[in-house]
Amino acid sequence: MRRTLHGRRSVRIAAGLLAAGLALSACGSSSKGGSSGGSSGGSSGGSSGSVPGADALDKASGVVNLTFWHSMKDTNQKAVTAIVDAFNTKYQGKIHVTDTYQGSYDDAIAKYKTAVSSHTTPSLMQVYDVGTRFMVDSKQTIPVADLASKDGYALGDLQPNIVNYYSVGGKLQSMPFNSSMPLLYINVEAFKKAGLDPANPPKTLDELADAAKKLTVKDANGTTTQYGFGAADYGWFVEQLTAESGALYCDNDNGRTARATKLNLDSGAPLTYTKWWSDLVKGGYASNTGRPTADAQAAFKAGKVAMNLESTGVLGGYVDAGTKAAAPFTVATAAFPKVTAADSGGPVIGGASLWIDRAGHSDAEVRAAWEFAKFAASAPQQAAWHQATGYFPVSVAALQDPTDVAYRQKHPQFQTAIDELTATKPSTATAGCLLGVMPQARADLEQAMLNVATTGTTAEAALADASTKIAKLISDYNSAVG
Amino acid sequence: MFILYPLIESFVLSTHGSDIFGNSSRYVGFKHFSEMFDDPDFYTILSTTALFTLLTVIPGVLGALALVLLMESRIRGIRIFRSAFALPFAFSAASASVIFAVIYNPVVGIANGMLGHFGAQPVGWLTDPKWVLLSVAAVQIWLTLGYNVLVLSAGVAAIPADIVEAARLDGATGWRLHRSIMVPLLSPQLFFLTVVSTINSLQAFTAIRVLAPEGGPGGKAMTLVYAIYNKGFENGNSDLGAASAYAIVLLFIVLILTAIQFGVLERKVFYR
Amino acid sequence: MSATVRDRVAKALVYLVLIAAALAVVFPVYYALAGSVMPTRDLTKAPPALVPSGLHPGNFADVFRAVPLGHQYLNSVIVSGVITVAQVVTSLLAAYAFVFLPMKWRGAVFGLFLATLMIPWEAIIIPNYKTIANAHLANTYFALVLPFLASAFGTFMLRQSFLQFPMELRDAARIDGSGHLRFLWRIVVPVSRPTIAAIAVYSFLSAWNQYFWPLLVTDKPKMQTLQLGMSQLNNSESADPRLILAGVALSVLPTLLLVVFGQKFIVKGLTSGAVK
Repeated sequence: MRRTLHGRRSVRIAAGLLAAGLALSACGSSSKGGSSGGSSGGSSGGSSGSVPGADALDKASGVVNLTFWHSMKDTNQKAVTAIVDAFNTKYQGKIHVTDTYQGSYDDAIAKYKTAVSSHTTPSLMQVYDVGTRFMVDSKQTIPVADLASKDGYALGDLQPNIVNYYSVGGKLQSMPFNSSMPLLYINVEAFKKAGLDPANPPKTLDELADAAKKLTVKDANGTTTQYGFGAADYGWFVEQLTAESGALYCDNDNGRTARATKLNLDSGAPLTYTKWWSDLVKGGYASNTGRPTADAQAAFKAGKVAMNLESTGVLGGYVDAGTKAAAPFTVATAAFPKVTAADSGGPVIGGASLWIDRAGHSDAEVRAAWEFAKFAASAPQQAAWHQATGYFPVSVAALQDPTDVAYRQKHPQFQTAIDELTATKPSTATAGCLLGVMPQARADLEQAMLNVATTGTTAEAALADASTKIAKLISDYNSAVG
Repeated sequence: MFILYPLIESFVLSTHGSDIFGNSSRYVGFKHFSEMFDDPDFYTILSTTALFTLLTVIPGVLGALALVLLMESRIRGIRIFRSAFALPFAFSAASASVIFAVIYNPVVGIANGMLGHFGAQPVGWLTDPKWVLLSVAAVQIWLTLGYNVLVLSAGVAAIPADIVEAARLDGATGWRLHRSIMVPLLSPQLFFLTVVSTINSLQAFTAIRVLAPEGGPGGKAMTLVYAIYNKGFENGNSDLGAASAYAIVLLFIVLILTAIQFGVLERKVFYR
Repeated sequence: MSATVRDRVAKALVYLVLIAAALAVVFPVYYALAGSVMPTRDLTKAPPALVPSGLHPGNFADVFRAVPLGHQYLNSVIVSGVITVAQVVTSLLAAYAFVFLPMKWRGAVFGLFLATLMIPWEAIIIPNYKTIANAHLANTYFALVLPFLASAFGTFMLRQSFLQFPMELRDAARIDGSGHLRFLWRIVVPVSRPTIAAIAVYSFLSAWNQYFWPLLVTDKPKMQTLQLGMSQLNNSESADPRLILAGVALSVLPTLLLVVFGQKFIVKGLTSGAVK
């Protein structure tokens, strides 16, 4: 390269120009406003605009077209399409719903954010449970409670525990759609081999640890061929245990009376579970497959792990994998463990719900979306949905549907989830924590737990660290909401 | 233009706050920068980035050089070897990462499966803070090896046979032949590969996204580019202001490094 | 005598190192191909099988059922093809302008160009995405190719190659009365063919491997590219190694064949590109 000198000068010029650009942008402030408001919290929620009545749809001429964003793929996507097709047939010539898969829940939220900026939000969107606070803060949607009260439509058929989660400021914000619950999964053959009774599964963390030790098998080389316990490093489990113990996961009544400002990580269930899990991992009784839930599932499916925590959603896959495994095994389910036997709380409902966008959408469109939301949550649709996907039906009546009763007879493992839910009394603790930055907060907690399990860091130090980090995240978020 | 306008926009973004949709809100001056420089994580990220670059560029380029020179030892089957080493060139970062994700699986992955065959304890390739950066770097090296081998082979093919023959007649063999004749003659290719690999490693994203989201355990694989994604997009984050501040740091580092590489390394490059 | 023994030992060592390295490099390729036809049992038992216990071509059908891989294939080919052709053409024109046209501030403009080469694409992806979304161009081929029609890298490489161009030829051509385009097409392009080939290979592969941008601007599976389809098979909530490996095998087969059988062509293309 004979032109070195020239090339180098070009670089310097470029750097100079960039610096000039930096200086320029620093001068031109375009403050679009935004006072750093405090927590205006759980008040009325994200309504924007008036609540249209049924006549808005009646008066609409032609077909009302709806866009529906969701994050269901494979089998679940087919089940969504089945609901949409049934709806479109029923409302032929009046409403037409187009469903599009938007990638994972996180991807969909990312796209929703840009859609808000460019005014291209969908009519309806499926959002995961931990996105609830964000959706309310986005001020784009209309609470389904408003539409229901306008019509005198009773929301009583919805599972009260599920309604509890998606209610902010005493108002149901979105239509529950797909729900899942945490369960303890058991490899029956491994239990029998270790002389344990699969019909009497461990109920508390201590019992679980004892069983895990008995269930761990090593070969002559000292290589572990079966771990007693193995679950993903997943913050969701910590949230569940906290609710089971009747405690609050974050302040301001789990973020329901005002926006939460911090998580309660440094004591109670989070601390106990972190210590418990890292001890099992370090002792060689639990596999550490890290944060991806798929990897923990693979270990259980391979028969390498005797006990696993997962949501109801994986049941079908587990049973199937058990029959196809190199050494076939039977899958049993048990209630999600408690920290101590005295714990009186219950699980928090995971899953996702349907949000109806108001801002930038016509009255007729909002009404049509409301029709779809009611349709998707209705007993017959939920019964079919439950059987196709393994998600928990959000409709109480769906459980009485004859097809659903037959389904549960065929899959007795599912009854555990129903017993678990019906035994749970809705409370602030079981409503779960609402947090605008829950996905990141979960990730930070998981990082802290992994840190404890793989290094010499103490649980106390790691969780205190995570707490500080998350508190900063929350305050940044709260000031961004303004 | 899709580069200059966004570039300026990035500077503007870095001096503004963001609302929850990621739109830039009020002007905050250099707050993102001062927060970044006060954050101990920032310096960890910088050293991780440097480490990752060294761990990938040096073995990637030198390893390819060693392989290419070994293949020059007048042996049979050279074409088969070259094809074998070139194979990774056919893989995208996404497909390679996905394969390695299956291989690295801690319990049912083939990597630990083979360790078990030899009676060794399983390794937490992606779950152990000590291993995660090495595991990701291995994928990056694997990915670039094919390209590097192809480029260097092309360089070797371009060396006039009479130069090598003359050196051999002069008694230069083996190591000496390589060191004093081949390597200097390959220096343009080596220089080119060092520059390209450095930039590629600094910008490596897909492998970390697939194998070590969140920068993996303990954030041990959190590089600068990944930090941009983490602040701006990952886990529903939308602090595009802070993300842009990181982007600008990356920009300056790449600029400075490239200038240094052109300035220093080029002097040692032998041009015919 | 002892020299030949030493020679043989040395040669054996070389073979040993090469074979070990080749095995290490080839293993992931082998595993992807072998795994793509394994039944679930082979992949999920512990330790997993190295050799398929039987052929299960059903895996491929399952992949096509999970994602519209055929469509995505076509999308990737179209998008990469358009980007490659566009980048070669614009790089040629831009590099030509930098070298052969009188221009004020040539150094500064080229410096700016060079700077864009070093800008990490991730750093500016946000504003670009907003531009596309606001223009309602999401889910179009247009959105997938628009930001990549010009290439600073290609321009840089061609400029370096043009700088070697004997000015006498240009002067001779001018005396012959040929205009810029004619000169470019008849003389510069043929001479620079190796560099152009190198740019084409590079452009095609970078376009083919794109991941982040298509993820942002497409959400309809049928408009997505191959890389996205594959990554959808590997999702942290549900990942079936059988489908992942089958998907990867399907997606890399063409490029794999290209590398194995078109190696000569690629090496030729890279020769000039690497030197300058």
